[in-house]
Amino acid sequence: MEDLQTRHLENPKVGWNFEKATARAVAVLRRGAFFSNYLIAFAIILILNFALPRMMPGDPLQAIYGEEALLAMTPQLEAELIARLSLDQSMGQQFASYIIALLSGDLGHSYYYNQQVLAVILDFLPWTLLLTGTALVISTLAGLVLGVESGYKRGRNLDKTLLAGLMFLNGFPDFFMGIVLLLVFGVVLGLVPLSGALTPYSGLEGPHLALDILHHLLAPLAALVLVRITSSYLLTRNTMITTLKENFILTARAKGCSEGQIKYRHAGRNSLLPVVTATGLMIPHLITGALFVEIVFSYPGVGWLLYNALLTRDYPLIQGILLMVTVAVLVVNLLVDILYQKLDPRVSHAR
Amino acid sequence: MHVNVWHEVAESNLGKAGLFLIGLMVALAVFAPILSPYSPRENTDAPAFSRPSEDHWLGTNDARQDIWTQLIYGARTSLAVGFGVALLSAFISILIGGTAAIFGGVYDRFWMRIVDATIAIPDVIVIILVAAYFRPNVLLMILLLSALSWPGGARVIRAQTLTLKERMHVSAARTFGAGWSHLLIHHIIPDLGPILIAIMIQDARRAVFMEAGLSFLGISDPSMMSWGKMMQYARVFTYLEVWKWWLLPTGLALSLTLIGLSFTGFALESALDPRLRDGAKGHKGGI
Repeated sequence: MEDLQTRHLENPKVGWNFEKATARAVAVLRRGAFFSNYLIAFAIILILNFALPRMMPGDPLQAIYGEEALLAMTPQLEAELIARLSLDQSMGQQFASYIIALLSGDLGHSYYYNQQVLAVILDFLPWTLLLTGTALVISTLAGLVLGVESGYKRGRNLDKTLLAGLMFLNGFPDFFMGIVLLLVFGVVLGLVPLSGALTPYSGLEGPHLALDILHHLLAPLAALVLVRITSSYLLTRNTMITTLKENFILTARAKGCSEGQIKYRHAGRNSLLPVVTATGLMIPHLITGALFVEIVFSYPGVGWLLYNALLTRDYPLIQGILLMVTVAVLVVNLLVDILYQKLDPRVSHAR
Repeated sequence: MHVNVWHEVAESNLGKAGLFLIGLMVALAVFAPILSPYSPRENTDAPAFSRPSEDHWLGTNDARQDIWTQLIYGARTSLAVGFGVALLSAFISILIGGTAAIFGGVYDRFWMRIVDATIAIPDVIVIILVAAYFRPNVLLMILLLSALSWPGGARVIRAQTLTLKERMHVSAARTFGAGWSHLLIHHIIPDLGPILIAIMIQDARRAVFMEAGLSFLGISDPSMMSWGKMMQYARVFTYLEVWKWWLLPTGLALSLTLIGLSFTGFALESALDPRLRDGAKGHKGGI
């Protein structure tokens, strides 16, 4: 505030400034365009969810709720459902009532769980958040550190080993990595539990419960991290290689900065931006990876739920999961974009 | 300075390893009928779950089928899907990315908006949803995977076309009144060369991965053998010892294919990126 006032005093241009106004308008437009990506992605998913079951030949009610649900269908229920989905009305009205239902948090009814889809998903969501969240943080941080070290020693043995090793690990699909870890550490060595997120009916509390959860989390987490570490590692390594040729590194060396300072404070910092951007782009892949890993370890998250929904043909649940995951991905991307502006002074000063 | 990209890929260790692995998998897929006397669905005379032997290199599964045979026929599905998606997706990428760069303006902005939006969509779940409604087959799988994987390539090709557009031969063609299709086919595509291949390798890698993952979930063409499907079946029997010659080799074949593609892609990208090339003295591309 003070800054602004003093600037005003130094440069007392009262009234409307054309340049500033256009700059502001452009900024607003750009912000709008930035949000519109998310809106378009969201709209595509909405339309897909709405149109797919209605495109199917035959009774749309069957396509929306799946065959199994119809076994329990009474004429009364059928009439109620048709009224709720406006299936007896025009497509436009059907879409309107679909949107209105979504806005009130009604993602449909899962007949397999006999519960609202939203409630079912929210039951399973925390485990997925725990798994993907920790995997994201650990793989990004480890990738950064390994990338800095590897890029600094480019062409030496450490770099060669890390590069080949991580590229090799990255080739493993998440679910196969999960299976290998499960077989080796679970079946053969018996070190980690074979399924679940905690020991059922154990009555554990406090720190023991936390340890139990961690024990169950270890193998699925390791599977995700081992596969996902590579993208942030490669980016950091590439940025390190280019940054180390810059003049300011020479200056830092001439000043007598220590190796650690040059590595992390001068060169490594430059990798943060691309890594943060890539993390945002990686999140959809990470989430799908987590879905597969959950299935392998019967980890009770959204992926496992999706697999069961697929097996039981619980269409409303599959659609609900698609919608929720898309929203999650978009929200995280939005947060990453905001973080990006905070990290890069050029972006925030450009406003 | 002119750089022979292919030469550099073949020189680097990663590139060599990658090309070798891809070649190996292609050979397995092509020569499958020669490499095995059985057919993938044939119920052999050996008992179920027999151990690896001279007749059955990787033993047999629960239905007395030869696992080695299934493995090499599975390579056909994976590679067909990978190759199909790479071609189709590259075609869409060039069409959209190239024309967006040539026309510019509203058309360009419209497509780039779509590209940005599609990149944020979680593709596996979209395919699961579509496959839950439609009967999945290889063609549908290729179409779906391509529909979801072209945006990344389109962005790169657009950027590349924007710089190519300013070259003399393109401007010359434009002054003579060349249409966009002529420009794309005769002037842009030949100059894209290795970049296009890098995009296709990436798309193929993703497609092979997705096809395996989806068939692991049970979403697969019922008439085709597939690695993901084999792993899905084999996973049920982890309490027996069979996973050692059923589950692991299948997963390894899949992983080695993916590794081959990513090694080659990485070697190609480092050869293409002038900043990553010639770093240390006597150092040639990649590691």
